[in-house]
Amino acid sequence: MNQLLAPTARRALLALEDGTTFEGLSAGAEGETFGEIVFNTSLTGYQEVVSDPSYAGQVVTFTYPQIGNYGTCAADMQSDRLSLAGVVVRDMCHEPSNWRSERSLPELLRESGVVAIEGVNTRALTLRVRDGGTMRCAISTVDLDPESLVARVRESAPISERNWVADVSCKEAYEVAGSTEPTAFAASDEPRATHKVVALDCGEKRGILQNLVAAGLDVTVVPWDTPAEEILAMGPEGVFLSNGPGDPRSVPEPSACAAELIGKVPLFGICLGHQMLSLALGASIEKLPYGHHGGNQPVMNLLSGMVEITAQNHNYGLDFASLGALVPELSGGESEHHDDLRWWCERHVAPVVETERFGRVRLTHVNLNDGTPEGIQLLDERAFSVQYHPEASPGPHDATYLFEAFRRLIEGDADYLAIDVREGRRF
Amino acid sequence: MPRREDIRKILVIGSGPIVIGQACEFDYSGTQACEGLRSLGYEVVLVNSNPATIMTDPEVADRTYVEPITAEFVEKVIERERPDALLPNMGGQTGLNCAIELDEAGVLERYGVEVIGCDIDSIRLGEDRKLFADAMEEIGLSICRSGFAYSLQEAEDIVMGTGDEPGLGFPVIIRPSFTLGGAGGGIAYDIDELRQIVSQGLDLSANSEVLVEESIQGWKEIEMEVMRDAAGNGIVICSIENLDPMGVHTGDSITVAPAQTLTDVELMRLRDYSLAILEKVGVATGGSNVQFAVNPDDGRVIVVEMNPRVSRSSALASKATGFPIAKVAAQLAVGLTLDEIDNDITRVTPACFEPSIDYCVVKVPRFAFEKFKGTSEVLSTRMKAVGEVMAIGRTFEESFNKAMRSLEQGDALLGADDPALADEQDFRQKVSVPTPQRIVYVIEALRRGWDVDDIYELTGIDRFYLSRLADIVSVERWLADRRLFDISEPEMRAVKQMGFSDVQIAHFCGCTELEVRAWRKAQSVVPEIMTVDTCGGEFPARTSYHYKTYDAGDSEAHVSDRSRVVILSAGPNRIGQGIEFDYCCVHASKALHERGYETVMVNCNPETVSTDYDTSDKLYFEPLTFEDVLDVCDAEEPVGVICSLGGQTPINLAARLKEAGVPIMGTQPDAIDLAEDRDRFSSLLDELGVAYPSSAVASTYEQALEAAQQVGYPLLVRPSYVLGGRGMAIVYDAEHLRAYMDEATRVSTDHPIYLDSFLDSAVELDVDALADGEECYVGAVLEQIEEAGIHSGDSACCMPPYSLSDAMVAEVRETTHKLARAVGVVGALNVQYAVHNGILYVIEMNPRASRTLPFSSKASGVPLARLAARVMAGERLADMRAAGELPDEARDFDYFACKEAVLPFDRFPGSKMALGPEMRSTGEVMGIDATFPGAYAKTQLAISYGLPLDPASGKVFVSVRDRDKRAIVAVAREFALMGYGLCATTGTAKALRAAGLECESVRRTSEMRPNIGTMLSSGKVSLVINVPGDPSTREDFYGLRELAVRYRVTNVTTLPGAQAMVEAIRIARGGSLGVRALQDL
Repeated sequence: MNQLLAPTARRALLALEDGTTFEGLSAGAEGETFGEIVFNTSLTGYQEVVSDPSYAGQVVTFTYPQIGNYGTCAADMQSDRLSLAGVVVRDMCHEPSNWRSERSLPELLRESGVVAIEGVNTRALTLRVRDGGTMRCAISTVDLDPESLVARVRESAPISERNWVADVSCKEAYEVAGSTEPTAFAASDEPRATHKVVALDCGEKRGILQNLVAAGLDVTVVPWDTPAEEILAMGPEGVFLSNGPGDPRSVPEPSACAAELIGKVPLFGICLGHQMLSLALGASIEKLPYGHHGGNQPVMNLLSGMVEITAQNHNYGLDFASLGALVPELSGGESEHHDDLRWWCERHVAPVVETERFGRVRLTHVNLNDGTPEGIQLLDERAFSVQYHPEASPGPHDATYLFEAFRRLIEGDADYLAIDVREGRRF
Repeated sequence: MPRREDIRKILVIGSGPIVIGQACEFDYSGTQACEGLRSLGYEVVLVNSNPATIMTDPEVADRTYVEPITAEFVEKVIERERPDALLPNMGGQTGLNCAIELDEAGVLERYGVEVIGCDIDSIRLGEDRKLFADAMEEIGLSICRSGFAYSLQEAEDIVMGTGDEPGLGFPVIIRPSFTLGGAGGGIAYDIDELRQIVSQGLDLSANSEVLVEESIQGWKEIEMEVMRDAAGNGIVICSIENLDPMGVHTGDSITVAPAQTLTDVELMRLRDYSLAILEKVGVATGGSNVQFAVNPDDGRVIVVEMNPRVSRSSALASKATGFPIAKVAAQLAVGLTLDEIDNDITRVTPACFEPSIDYCVVKVPRFAFEKFKGTSEVLSTRMKAVGEVMAIGRTFEESFNKAMRSLEQGDALLGADDPALADEQDFRQKVSVPTPQRIVYVIEALRRGWDVDDIYELTGIDRFYLSRLADIVSVERWLADRRLFDISEPEMRAVKQMGFSDVQIAHFCGCTELEVRAWRKAQSVVPEIMTVDTCGGEFPARTSYHYKTYDAGDSEAHVSDRSRVVILSAGPNRIGQGIEFDYCCVHASKALHERGYETVMVNCNPETVSTDYDTSDKLYFEPLTFEDVLDVCDAEEPVGVICSLGGQTPINLAARLKEAGVPIMGTQPDAIDLAEDRDRFSSLLDELGVAYPSSAVASTYEQALEAAQQVGYPLLVRPSYVLGGRGMAIVYDAEHLRAYMDEATRVSTDHPIYLDSFLDSAVELDVDALADGEECYVGAVLEQIEEAGIHSGDSACCMPPYSLSDAMVAEVRETTHKLARAVGVVGALNVQYAVHNGILYVIEMNPRASRTLPFSSKASGVPLARLAARVMAGERLADMRAAGELPDEARDFDYFACKEAVLPFDRFPGSKMALGPEMRSTGEVMGIDATFPGAYAKTQLAISYGLPLDPASGKVFVSVRDRDKRAIVAVAREFALMGYGLCATTGTAKALRAAGLECESVRRTSEMRPNIGTMLSSGKVSLVINVPGDPSTREDFYGLRELAVRYRVTNVTTLPGAQAMVEAIRIARGGSLGVRALQDL
């Protein structure tokens, strides 16, 4: 809202670790918040973003300037409550318009106690984060002195020091029955049998749960620190490793759990779950300069050569070379790792490495914007994972086939990833 | 997949002349396609009849044929060039239709030409309502339910249902088939209305057929611009939301990108649908446009239509996102996949992604109803806009304000200064009925304190937009309560962030524009330059595609050490100022770039080549107002600004810019004034001893009456400083003059009226020339085929002149040289002459590039626009001559090039359809041949009516005024010799019979039936020669012309036109018209 139209709005200040400050107006709860600044380039889906538990500890800047236009509704929430640290927008809409809208975004933020600022030159802010990297920041409606707020930002704890997963995971296990309705991927129109899976909740988005259920999976969601033996004792046909917030290296339990599960039950991981699986395989995890947050990231499936437009939200990623040495006979004869994985895309080769503990792992998906790894598959055990979000929410639905792939993996299909993206577009 | 190696040569079809609904966006897309294909090493053959296009420049394609886009001529091109493939989806509907014709005629098979991009079946599927409906049903999507009815009962059954067939229910839309402009249709809310509208519609429909359709008026209209490659990868480039709900053609709607009022869930569902529709229709590769209607109350989605080709919307989407849809589409057609093509803007990421933008784009259409009096201004599903503007800002409010002032139609204050809005009469209706002015009435209703919900109920415009407009009105009120110097820095910035111009602020604060500018600059409230980068700032942009906004921060305009030239283009297309001027600006940019300058283009028209991000070194997508241009100059500090290539828009800014200290390149404002100021120019002509029609100036009716007696009737009257002959008329007596004066004061209150002696039956000439301050070079002398009195933009013309002596042409050149030197032109100039009784008269001189410059360049083979830019930058004609760049002015040509205007009368039923001194054409075609009639014949074949080549197709109807009766006999005789039957009105018939010609007498349209009207409707007439006489016969004349347009019969309204036409038909019937590439001239 333009400041001339909001003469009584409370002032707010955004301060970055590098000393940059932006003045604006409060657009959510009043108070103060500290976190890591990131930017999200999605044009729609602000509600799914602010309710995504993976943003815990982060202050999200929306690059699209007018946010809140169509309001918010319960159906689109990705979790029961908002976990992110704060929100930065250029222009907040206080009078939304859409038949689904139940309340405005600033109302939702206020009721959830999320501090937000509007009136910020979000493009200038984005360019600063792009060039300077992710950094600590604060939004305050209390301390409007730039020097003071910057100083306090510099004293604040970095995101990696805290276990955010514990905050956002469910405290008790619960169950959701799978759907027997055939999806567009199903071979016939007959009702389908369901399979029992356990989802390790590190901050699972509701969209993921909905997609697992739609793929005909009976899901038991368990807290993030549930030990592997307890999970196996439930007798699942597959285990899902969820997305979640923060630095995966600060949360050793889920990757330890994953390491114990490999070989005993089919595994599928998304985002943090992918990083947990990678850690379990002995790989190292790197922090990206400013991460991937948005709904337009092109990812090539190296097995099909097709490109998926994907939703992403991560600041950390797998270092593919750290998994092990290349297996030349399965990597188009190549034995040298390439930093930019688009090298493999141009040749349409899905390279395979030999890990120390779990045999061969294939690179299945690569980000075409920057050549980072987006998906892997174990060749000698039943497990695969992707860095991006096939459930979208928000974003394009190109990758929903991966939930069907999980089902096929459980059913023993060796070629479980060979699904045409386009099949999922029937409705 | 790599590029296909089995294809070497590709034929690209353009879209032909600019018409309403198919404008210069296809020049933009066609040019991109040609460049995209050539960059991959393919040889490109191009066919397009429109000379005012960049794509038909000889250097854009390898082989360029400015020939009619008909199966006959394209076949001749195919026969000569033997292309391996045909890319049909770059030239709008014209291109697709031509491809289908070629396919049906077996031409493609005969010459082994493969259609690439989209196959013929998919074109048909997209076009055929029934096939399309079935296809959509197969993939589970709904389309608007409808049925065809041939009787009242059938219509009732469709609505009420029969037996187990459920009906559509009320309301329904009734559309009679084959009526002009959707005449006779309407919405029925109950059975009585249904009966009334259907019976009327069945009467009006040529084949007694009406379409009865479920009403989805008031639903949101959303467009998705989608691309697909051969591997099956699909991406959405942009979503576009129409501010005007369903019921108004998207080309006539204000539109916004990206869509603002849909949740991610809704939008992603549309994405899924769009990609599935492309698969189903069978679009192999390339871009498509899919339109949806979304019920604002429950989100229900209906597929409205899909176009398997680039379109106006895809041009808009390209400009809105920075994603070059046409270029990428062309490259996909030859086998590349999206991941193999780079994103030009980031250069490090692939084209296989979906653009993210961090600004809001608003497009507003521009209309020309003032040119077509008598027609309804209500907007419907048939497009009527002649152009559009696009604006970029950070918020909808900012972009909307910028777009409204870009229109140059007096809407920059959103009607706040318009006393007509205070009128209470029909106010509610003016808010509710969609017309070009409706948006201003909506804003006025908000000013009056109307509730957003009330306006929503009346208009269907989403509350989001209405609330934003209400915010604009609140800021207006805020300003009105303040004096300028009370506004603080943060407040001023906040006002500017709402998109308010200095003019708007000045209006509400009661001060001048310059005071606002000075005050805000003193407070450092200056625009920040932002960049269009396709990715919301995620990656650095390598191109300089900018817009201004008022977020506080660092400017992204990186000013280099190179000398910069700012080129002002022409703004929105309108009648009289269109693609021709954009053409000149693009050429100037290229020429100056080659000479080492950094070129900076400013324009707000998304349909153009000039607003392509790689046409110039830098692009500012900004309104062409004093404030916005001066802001760009402040940011870029150019060595010069070029104002004389973009038509009247930049010319009108030149003097103020110079006053503000901006260096103007080329002809200086004083020289412009010398040529445009009647008194100064007349004195100059007197000094030079050059004849001109006697004239006078008047500000009141009394003055005009007196002046008219001195000069003598007939008179050509017009307001000063206008383009395209706006408000021009020929008056024959005092009564006419009175009527004109009453009307004209509204056209231009600040300027007086000119009264020129009208030279009846003179030959008019158009001359395009260059001058460098010392000498002058005449590029082309064009002879108009219509007589004086018809606007040169509406008249057919020919280069070289076909009826003048060499001595007269030499005199024309000599006079032009004299004028250019005397006025002090540096750059391009255009002079209009009339030859009357052997005397050469100067009608007017424009010290700027003219509408005919592109045609003259192509016809003469001399790149006049480029050379003009170089001259403006200081080069000498003498040096160009020495370098062999200027061929001899007096050289002989072994061909004739003709230009013919294309008129949009079929879009404006009810308006007067005669040609006159006010320009009304939207576009033009060119024909080249060894003879004048051959070249003229090609122009007639290139416009859609075609020529009646078969005497069995109908008679030739003749009706001329008395003094032309002698001359028409020769024309009629030639038709008779070719075997055409003749019919004529009584007087003309008598003259023809007297000359020994057999001729049927026919009654006029105003007389008892059967008359000429019934003959036209029953298809018995194939050509109308109808030359208007004195005012008493005018009604007949208009009536007949309208009928000819309705029944698509070629209609000639001048004697010279008739003489050229009969020759053209003779030549065309001979079948000997060949084709010729521009590269071979």
